[in-house]
Amino acid sequence: MTSPAAIRLVDVSKHYGTQVAVRPTNLEIGEGEFFCLLGPSGCGKTTTLNLIGGFVNPSAGEIWIRDERVETLPPHRRRVNTVFQSYALFPHMTVADNVGFGLKMARVPASESRGRIEEALQLVGLQEFGGRVPGQLSGGQQQRVAVARALVNRPAVLLLDEPLGALDLKLRHRLQIELAQIHRDVGTTFVYVTHDQEEAMSMATRIAVMSEGAIQQIGTPSEIYYRPQSRFVADFIGESNFLDVSTESGTARLEDGRGVPCSVNGWQGGTRATLMVRPEVVRLFTATDAPDGAIRGRIVQTSFLGSETRVAIDCDASDAPLTAAQFGRERIAAGELTPDKEVALWWDAHDAVLLPIQSSEEEG
Amino acid sequence: MEGMATTAPAAARGRSRLRGGARLAQYAGFLPALVLFGAFFALPLGLIVAYSFWETIDYNVVHHWTLDNYRYFFSVSTYIHTMWATVWVSTLATALTIGLAFPFTYWLVRYVRRGALQRLLLVLVILPFWTSYLLRVYSWLNILGDGGAINRFLQWTHLTDHPLSFFLYDRPAVILVLVYLYFPFAVLTLYASLERFDWDQFKAAMDLGATPRTAITRILLPQIRPGITTAVIFVFIPILGEYLAPQLVGGQRGVMIGNLIVNFFTGAQYTRGAAAALLIAALIVVLLVVFRRSLEVEDAYRA
Repeated sequence: MTSPAAIRLVDVSKHYGTQVAVRPTNLEIGEGEFFCLLGPSGCGKTTTLNLIGGFVNPSAGEIWIRDERVETLPPHRRRVNTVFQSYALFPHMTVADNVGFGLKMARVPASESRGRIEEALQLVGLQEFGGRVPGQLSGGQQQRVAVARALVNRPAVLLLDEPLGALDLKLRHRLQIELAQIHRDVGTTFVYVTHDQEEAMSMATRIAVMSEGAIQQIGTPSEIYYRPQSRFVADFIGESNFLDVSTESGTARLEDGRGVPCSVNGWQGGTRATLMVRPEVVRLFTATDAPDGAIRGRIVQTSFLGSETRVAIDCDASDAPLTAAQFGRERIAAGELTPDKEVALWWDAHDAVLLPIQSSEEEG
Repeated sequence: MEGMATTAPAAARGRSRLRGGARLAQYAGFLPALVLFGAFFALPLGLIVAYSFWETIDYNVVHHWTLDNYRYFFSVSTYIHTMWATVWVSTLATALTIGLAFPFTYWLVRYVRRGALQRLLLVLVILPFWTSYLLRVYSWLNILGDGGAINRFLQWTHLTDHPLSFFLYDRPAVILVLVYLYFPFAVLTLYASLERFDWDQFKAAMDLGATPRTAITRILLPQIRPGITTAVIFVFIPILGEYLAPQLVGGQRGVMIGNLIVNFFTGAQYTRGAAAALLIAALIVVLLVVFRRSLEVEDAYRA
């Protein structure tokens, strides 16, 4: 990155007594990124956001916002603004006064702030609502006010703490599109915390997947999805099939020695590993036209989900049934995928990912 | 068709009569309270109003309508003086009570958080209620008096060789005891209101550049104003009518209007006492109307 990073964490950690919230973390977020901190609850993502916002002090490490070191500054002295999960709008003030609060605190002259408030409300499509109080707005509108209230201050970075968590699914989808649009319009760096992988995938330019206080992997949504580096990431993002394999003589082999398609480049022979393959790249064959060496099994369940059909197949390659996603309607119509049918499944070597074995201690 | 047309209104009438009966039954629940309220509040109040416009001649109440009792009250400068003193002692005691209770409750809600410790502290706050009011006031005599804890301590440290009397029998002692007595009321009222506050708003204010003090004055206080107003009413109005505390620890210089009224009645000056009591009641009504308005403004804001 050539320009100074919008946010840089250097060996930042946080613990409460003996309890570790964030392990020593290094992270650089570039100017203008839409960066997602993604992970299950208790993984340290919100603590990381609060460390940047100044609501939590780090136990060690440096926090930089652009070229200013901020870890000792209180929240009101940092060039970041936050959209809270509960919105935290001020119920006793009008929408316009809510949005103008930060400007008032910064002693922006009234003439200028009036224009900026209007501009911010326009950005979120609420120019008509300046005179109302938050109690008169719907959840989605309140959420937009919270975004306007933060962005009007032109922060170096906008922090968003699960801002869509309280909304229903349809509205959430609409606001995801709106937020991404707003991000493109203003060009401000967004740091977005969520536990919803779909939300992260749909908006982020880069995602940091966190668990147990540490970043497990950073990458673009497609890197994270197609090239996970650990079983945790593969499991957390999307659905996966996992097979226990070991690398031998140029390929991955099941316990009984059968080879399965997979590239083992960079892996030492004789290493035990987990092979991950996504349901949508698994190809299904009828028992008769299966290619040589294909894994054979019996359908245990077929779930029609509209855009796709999920087929769970019991086979001897794995204890848990493997899942294949089918998108065409012909095979379903032809009754090829009904339970108890004998099928075979296969995939291309470049669609499978080899992952290090996760010790049971690290799971959960 | 015709038959139905005639029976339908009849049925409707029957229903409405039934509903009327049901409505009466609904109000039956009020009856005990109505009797109690009428016999022990409305009727005595009416009597006091009547008394205040009658005359006392030779210790007997004579039914002569007159404004003399009110005229008399305002003609004696001590009474007017005591009335104003009562108002400012009450104001000061209320301000001190709220001033102590607010930081305590704020700390309790914001930093102690819900849990065993917070419950314990709240129990400690209301613990004095388990002792009689009289006993609690008396105990202050043992702290402030000549042989009291403070004087014994001062003599023990040889800061003084004879007991100091200025701790007792004056207004400061009255105010001290009043603050002590009404502190729990203020804490409980403020707690109810602070406990509902969304502290994320506090974070949001800080995030938007507010200092903690600005966040309190601009965000917290405007929202808990109904709670503060309620606390003020709960503390100020009972203090205005206080009788026992000034009587016991206030001495001659700590007299409040409540003591005057008692003096009127023990001196058999029933009509003058009634007038004084109504003047205090009128003052309270005026103040309630003022506070009520500030409450209503707040409600309108929220809707």
